[in-house]
Amino acid sequence: MSIELVQVSKRFGKVLAVDKVSVEIEKGEFFTFLGPSGCGKTTTLRIIAGLEIPDEGRVIMDGADITYLPPHKRDTAMVFQNYALWPHMTVFENVAYGLKVRKYPKEEIRRKVKEVLELVRLEGLEDRYPTQLSGGQQQRVALARALVVEPKALLLDEPLSNLDAKLRIEMREELKRIQKSLNITAVYVTHDQEEAMVLSDRIAVMNRGRVVQIGSPEELYGRPKTLFVATFIGKYNILEGVVREVEGDTVSIESSGVRIRGVLPSSDVKPSVGEVVYAVFRPHGAYLKPSSDRDNEFFGKISLVSYLGEHLEVRVETKLGKMLIYLPPDFRLPLGESIKFYVPQHNVLVYPKKGEEVYSV
Amino acid sequence: MRFIERESGLKKVLRSFDSFIAINLALAVAFFTLFLILPVLSSAVEAFLDKGAISLRPIIEVLTNPEYVRLPPSLEVVRVEPVYGIVNGSVVPLGYIVSIGRYGPDFGKLVNSLFVSFTTAAIATVLGVIAAFVMSRYRFPGKSVFGVLLIVPLLATPFVNGYVIGRVFGRDGLINMFVREVLGFRNVTIELVGLPAVILVQSLSFFPIVYLNAYASMINLDPSLEEQAENLGSSGLRLFRTITFPLSLPGVAAGAALVFIFSLEDLGAPIGVKAAFGLGLHNKLLSYDVYDHFRKAYALELVSRSAYAVTFLMLLISSVGFILIRSYVSLRQYAMLSKGGRWAPRVRSVKGWRKVAVPLGLAIILAITSFPQIGTILMAFSDWAITGTAPRNFRIEYFLTIASDADIVRAIGNSVRYSLMALAVMVLVGGGLAYITSRRRVPGSGVLDLLATLPIAIPGIVIGVGYMTFFNTYFRGTILSPVDYPTNLLVFTYSARRIPFVVRPIYAGLQQVHVSLEEAAHNLGASRNRVYLTVILPLIIGNVVAGALTAFVYSMNEVSTSLLLGARDPERAPLTYWISDRIGGQTLGAVSAAAAACVLLMILQLASIAISNTILRQRVSFLGV
Repeated sequence: MSIELVQVSKRFGKVLAVDKVSVEIEKGEFFTFLGPSGCGKTTTLRIIAGLEIPDEGRVIMDGADITYLPPHKRDTAMVFQNYALWPHMTVFENVAYGLKVRKYPKEEIRRKVKEVLELVRLEGLEDRYPTQLSGGQQQRVALARALVVEPKALLLDEPLSNLDAKLRIEMREELKRIQKSLNITAVYVTHDQEEAMVLSDRIAVMNRGRVVQIGSPEELYGRPKTLFVATFIGKYNILEGVVREVEGDTVSIESSGVRIRGVLPSSDVKPSVGEVVYAVFRPHGAYLKPSSDRDNEFFGKISLVSYLGEHLEVRVETKLGKMLIYLPPDFRLPLGESIKFYVPQHNVLVYPKKGEEVYSV
Repeated sequence: MRFIERESGLKKVLRSFDSFIAINLALAVAFFTLFLILPVLSSAVEAFLDKGAISLRPIIEVLTNPEYVRLPPSLEVVRVEPVYGIVNGSVVPLGYIVSIGRYGPDFGKLVNSLFVSFTTAAIATVLGVIAAFVMSRYRFPGKSVFGVLLIVPLLATPFVNGYVIGRVFGRDGLINMFVREVLGFRNVTIELVGLPAVILVQSLSFFPIVYLNAYASMINLDPSLEEQAENLGSSGLRLFRTITFPLSLPGVAAGAALVFIFSLEDLGAPIGVKAAFGLGLHNKLLSYDVYDHFRKAYALELVSRSAYAVTFLMLLISSVGFILIRSYVSLRQYAMLSKGGRWAPRVRSVKGWRKVAVPLGLAIILAITSFPQIGTILMAFSDWAITGTAPRNFRIEYFLTIASDADIVRAIGNSVRYSLMALAVMVLVGGGLAYITSRRRVPGSGVLDLLATLPIAIPGIVIGVGYMTFFNTYFRGTILSPVDYPTNLLVFTYSARRIPFVVRPIYAGLQQVHVSLEEAAHNLGASRNRVYLTVILPLIIGNVVAGALTAFVYSMNEVSTSLLLGARDPERAPLTYWISDRIGGQTLGAVSAAAAACVLLMILQLASIAISNTILRQRVSFLGV
């Protein structure tokens, strides 16, 4: 099922939780709303489920306007953050509930529940009560309960956030496998950018009730359109400076007397000379050897080295402030030593300061 | 681009009503309008009518009548009178009678009522807070036993409790026996009557209300708040005075306010004390005054105007108190601020001499406060009600007199019938009301929330008078006519007065059912009615049963409207009416029968508490604003 939100807004008292959100989700797509807490992503999902009615805008499913259709008449199934398993029903009863509502014959209910429990790898636990299950098992029951009614869309509200780190990665893969094997439209909500990157075909980054950017994980990471997206996804270094020269999509700025060259992430914005801007680059965009003569060169003292397995995370005190870079793990870097590193021009993105927001924890 | 319209506010409201919400909302609104608001309003309107015209005269007449406001008041609390006798033909002093409360204080009925209610609330608060603090913060020998015993004073023994006080503090009572026989003062007789007697009876019966509310507040306090103060060097009484007590004030205040209102509307103590001492200052109270006016009038039209004015004043006093306390409590909900999970309250063991002193002190408080209950049982199983100064001659026959008392037997049947019918109404209306208010999906649910607690604040007398005026005016000739079928109305006075007991536990249960459990079912295609039946009801059924039991018991115990309406048709009157009749009766065994009936009520109440506690697996505090 395709889902479309058209200029959807929702207010809670004085708070504008969702602000003119428009997205188009295609059939079979794994689509994620990603953003910090309070950004309106859960409300958006609840609007799709029909648990909230938008103040303005339309919800379209497969071309039909379902904005005011009550939740039990929509063909969506939701997996809740706290799983919402009914404590007075067994695993079987929980999973069978939606089928009973739809008046399936007893035999078919039995068969379908069995199938879906196999799909989520929970065979044999039919007679347990939710309290007798581990977190991961509860999670699977919640998923099975949603899947068994063969919904046209699966809605997931931070379903993995209550699991421990290892289980979370396991369930992540499981979820992706099931979604792809059923070719079901999935709408996912999370604040965990790594989870979003791994699972999604496309991601809508939200902030303050608005969708800031929609794109594939690669687009969002490599070409964040706004400063917020750049700073929300992944680690980054940020430098404030004044524009000295603009040439096509390359910009030359000056920060504390240092010249930095970078590129504009989109053609929408063009800063003028003298404007204050931010230059952003990711830790793995830095190298110890220059690749060309147009690379930016930084110099500083090593103040902290953390070994993270696949690379070293190195903190360098430069003239422009602290910077974070990733280096190959076989380097020996004593603290206090001076280091010189280079950041290629195309790895530095330049955003105007005015009206932009930096994500900070 | 599609055209996007903005929905009107009305449309939004209408959409939030599905059939489930609409039916329940309509039921609740209709119920409260017809059986609470309109009757109460019409009784208030009567207070401003004088010969068909709107006038302040009835109110002014009450306020300027020395019967109601006595100037100057009599403050002669204690009077010592010599008793003379004739010995060998000459008059000689035999001794003295020390009368407490017979000649004063007396401020007139209006001020007497305020005085009694304030004093009762103050005494009950002191006792209740001490008990709550000790029970919530200390571990000591026999604590669990005290936990159970502390609800004994709450067991209802309407009328008989006042009579027991008469048997203890009367001229031939236990106290005087002790003074004469044990202390040896053969020429001194002490008696406690009038307002002090009423205050005593009420303080003893009502202090557990403060205790339960204060206790609930104290165990819900975030322990780190107290730990922080201790960490900074505070302990003992200072810790209590500066941290624990201020933080539990919402609970304490709520309990105290309830005691104030319960005392204001109480008929049990004045009638019980009257049965032991005859008419006296203990009957110069507003509640008794209204009851007396209605009891004496053969037709409702003959009831004096001042009775309505007094009813209105009672309503005014209690609602001002209720509104003040409600806004105070909602302003001071600090205790709940940091409430996350359930934490273990801070409990410490007492050491040294306190190991003996704490349980002993509690035992003394308990022995005194549960004396009405103990006395009632003694009366039901001994000749104490009939003769003698101390209970003697213990036999089951006294108790069994109720079996041969046709009026009482019939009255039990009546009470059970009215209470069960009221229960059906309460569960039906209260269940939906609790659902709507706890989920807050409908505009105006704040008003419903208020309505759900309001009945606690309205004196039963006001409701009874309201029913008589309202239903006599608009339902004349129907089955709801207070002239032809006064006791039919009891089903509705019971349900209107006791519905908070049903709503509160159901509401509490719903608060514990996460809304996502409902949404999950809704989302899987279940309609709201189906969600209610298959998901919500099974999860809160324990709360429904507990609430229903409590409401049933408190309907069986109901006094004010049972007396007001029951007196108009004794054949169909409920049990409490007949207990009041028997306690004042002169025939042999009448008081025994009253006491025995109260024992039955206590057993019923104990059973309901035991069942509720088992179902909910926790102490239930039934009362609170």
